[in-house]
Amino acid sequence: MPGFDLDRRRALGVLGAAAATTALVGGTARAQAPVQMISHRFPALEFYAEKMRGAVEGVEVNTQLMPFDKANELATIGLSSKADTLDIVYANDTTVHKYAKNGWLMPLDDLWAKFSDEFDLADFPERALAPYRYEGKLYCVPHNVNVMLFFYRRDLFEEAGKQPPATMAEYVELAKEFHTPMRAGTIKCLKPIDATMNEAHWYFNTIGDGWFDQDWRPVFNSENGVKAIEALKEVTGYAQRGYATAANDECTLALQQDLAAMGLQWASRTAAMDDPTKSRVVDLIDWAAAPGGHTRTATDGYAISAFTRQDPELLFRILATSSSAANMREGAAMLVPPRDSVLRDPELAKQFRQYPGILAALETAVPTPPLPEFYEAGEFITRRILQAVAGEMEVKAALDAAAAETTQLLESRGYYR
Amino acid sequence: MQTQRGLWLFLVPSGLVISLVLLYPLGYAIYLSFFNYYLGGQPPTFIGFGNYVALFGDERFWGSIGKTVLIVAGAVSLEFVLGLAVAFGLYKLTFGVKPLNLLMFLPHIVTPVVAALFLRWIFTGRWGLLDAIIMSFNIFPPDWLGTPGWARFTVIVADAWQFTPFMILVLYAGLNTVDNSQIESAQMDGAGNWTILTRIMLPAIKPLILFVLAIRIMDAFRFFDQIYVLTAGGPGTATETLTMYTYALAFRLLEIGKASALGVLTLLLSALTIGLVIAVLYRRDKGAF
Amino acid sequence: MRPSRTTQMVLFLALCAFTVVNLTPIIWAFMTSIKQPVDAFSVPPKLIFTPTFEFHYQVWVEKEFWRFLINSAVIAISTVCISVPIGTMAAFALSRMRGGGSRGILFGLLAMRMFPHILLAIPFFVLAQWLSLIDTYPMMIMALVAINQPFTIWMMRSFFMDVPLELDEAARIDGCNLWQVFYQVALPVVRPGLWITSLFSLLLAYNEFLFALVLTGPNTKTLPVAIAEYGAEDLNYWSLSAAAAIGIMLPIVLFMMALQRHLVRGLAFGAVKG
Repeated sequence: MPGFDLDRRRALGVLGAAAATTALVGGTARAQAPVQMISHRFPALEFYAEKMRGAVEGVEVNTQLMPFDKANELATIGLSSKADTLDIVYANDTTVHKYAKNGWLMPLDDLWAKFSDEFDLADFPERALAPYRYEGKLYCVPHNVNVMLFFYRRDLFEEAGKQPPATMAEYVELAKEFHTPMRAGTIKCLKPIDATMNEAHWYFNTIGDGWFDQDWRPVFNSENGVKAIEALKEVTGYAQRGYATAANDECTLALQQDLAAMGLQWASRTAAMDDPTKSRVVDLIDWAAAPGGHTRTATDGYAISAFTRQDPELLFRILATSSSAANMREGAAMLVPPRDSVLRDPELAKQFRQYPGILAALETAVPTPPLPEFYEAGEFITRRILQAVAGEMEVKAALDAAAAETTQLLESRGYYR
Repeated sequence: MQTQRGLWLFLVPSGLVISLVLLYPLGYAIYLSFFNYYLGGQPPTFIGFGNYVALFGDERFWGSIGKTVLIVAGAVSLEFVLGLAVAFGLYKLTFGVKPLNLLMFLPHIVTPVVAALFLRWIFTGRWGLLDAIIMSFNIFPPDWLGTPGWARFTVIVADAWQFTPFMILVLYAGLNTVDNSQIESAQMDGAGNWTILTRIMLPAIKPLILFVLAIRIMDAFRFFDQIYVLTAGGPGTATETLTMYTYALAFRLLEIGKASALGVLTLLLSALTIGLVIAVLYRRDKGAF
Repeated sequence: MRPSRTTQMVLFLALCAFTVVNLTPIIWAFMTSIKQPVDAFSVPPKLIFTPTFEFHYQVWVEKEFWRFLINSAVIAISTVCISVPIGTMAAFALSRMRGGGSRGILFGLLAMRMFPHILLAIPFFVLAQWLSLIDTYPMMIMALVAINQPFTIWMMRSFFMDVPLELDEAARIDGCNLWQVFYQVALPVVRPGLWITSLFSLLLAYNEFLFALVLTGPNTKTLPVAIAEYGAEDLNYWSLSAAAAIGIMLPIVLFMMALQRHLVRGLAFGAVKG
């Protein structure tokens, strides 16, 4: 429609100064095509989307937020066909490496250096940036750090004279003890893929030997790895009903509705426990680092598409503005700030009772392996773990099969040569 | 003959739209099934029937075929039997048919993305409505979505919930077209409802039965949303159907070539099933179809 | 031999029971949409509660879902207006054709319906991208028309099959050309069938999700996509989904009620014969 706009502007110009000004303002707004952003959706990210929409005056940002799998599908379709339909793309520690390896994202190092002073980017510790580096280059501006921590019912623990478990063995024991027909001993979320991978991450890192060795050969099927999944399987005996298909939402719900006594869940869910419109256990839940530590820490951030036609500096400005210290402070109830100045602020810990637990969990938490194919390997691993849990296969056979499939996948992608 | 040629002109608009919009994506997908095409990396390389051969040697492929056939057969036959029973009931009913008809149809208009969520709220353990109702009688019900047998059953019920209304509507329409004089004369001969239904009415609407079965079988083979939301293929791999596997290949592993090959095989399998249904329905009079 | 009154009552009650069971998930979802999440998912379920229309308000007013309703309506109605006429023409031709050609076409059409749609999403996107038609009405409408064709053609063909060929021939003898036979003779006979076919086409276009997700954007987003954006993660999203999902049904229900006479006539005319 450019022809139409031109004619209109010319015609309006004749009509007098006031009208001409209107047309000009309209004209500039049109000249700047809206920035297209796609993202996963949960309250913290909704908060940031709002901040992006108002980040740079006169620049319209279309934010499209949806469940993780759909956002990931859409980003994959758009980016793999090198389309310019997306400018800002949500990425977390598992997707960023895949996107970056495929050449779908723009390295941000130069922009980062250029705007470092203006946005006080040095405030982001390397710990927050590391998950976003691929082959030495940085691809994301961090917005949120998420960590899985141990949720437990303070009242039930006090009543039973128990302390939050320090080891996996204690945790299994407590799950058994607290388990009743109406209230499960623990929540477990084993919906493929993410939820299962998160639980498995904890077990593999605590009981097992982790996921991979240095050459990306699977070690999750080691003797200890088998023990880890056997422990997971045992605990499902004390898990809430429907655990096999439960994702974060239903696990949160089980805790909120007094259907489970404890379990592993994300830091971003802590605030919802104290919201009386959603929870009947307000003030009854406490948080600690998970027994054995080594739960997953994830990062939520935003990257710039390699195929954008927008000015990268403008896009970076939107990202950096939205992840300011002030915004992180404002949203601190629903997110974990990546900026050290905010995260380490003692005031915050006083104001929000979940912060001590979060900080403790962050001490030992580990990100997922920086393998671009991790999510894809997860497809095989999850499936086999679930087969083991459902009793379709022996744990060892299942993990060996998963390891073989993972090796084959990585071979086909050029590893081990 | 001139008439016959003139008829082709009537196909032009529809043919044009289909070939412009649908044929390219369909053709492209089939074309890709002969390539090793990983969406993230290099351009596709031709591997002939490599993807098909790989699938035939894949235990997951055979496993998902078995589960798909089971779920499709279960869902479509449940829908047909229930749909026919209700349609016949409506046909016999002399009052209140219109509002009932409308109300019964409602589940079919629920947006599929949310329909599965609605059913999740019914079937989920503990706080699901069904559990709550059963538990109020002090019975602890099975885990509808978490035990293999029940999960398959629930998935079938979910499909039936949405598509039985379609069956009812179409079959009810069909029953109403059956020639009344035939029915009356049979009644004179003292035939009961069952005899009338199976001997007179069903044979009369055979083409219609074929139509609904074919449509439902095709769609059930592509059945995805509900399984994805309700069980995500689980527990274990109990409800992992062909489409679930296709989805995993296409969107999680980004193996578009192999996923397309699986799509083609799904197509062939559902064509085969429909062929089988035709053979069974028309086993006596072969020329009629 | 009229059925007795008791049999009628038993039959009526049985059908009512079936209907109630069938409607339970919808009623339950509606109740969910007017409860706070803490009550909506409580154990045992709460039947007495203070209703709140907060989520309906949020969805339709604050989150401006009425915009998506307009998009959905534009797309669905346009789809029906294009799909049904051209499909009807094709169906007429296929019902009048002799020889193997028509059967081949009919089975080809079915094959299109059998192919898993998730595999068409990527080629569709590439095509739309190439034509610079992402996030425009025409692309979405054309895609839906094409997807709709097999069903429309099959269904309309079955209606035309019921129009006796003698009628055509008589009209031909009266000097009608082929178009007039179609438009003035055959079409009026199958009119009730048009309503049914339109209803199903409308439903398909109105509820379509996958292609809408891939092909629409901020300007043309449809209701199913907008609803799906509130997947899970937070319980409020569930309440919002429920509220939106109930709202999205209303236009179709109204449409069906308005057309019920036609629909029933179409059904009674029935003859959805293959």
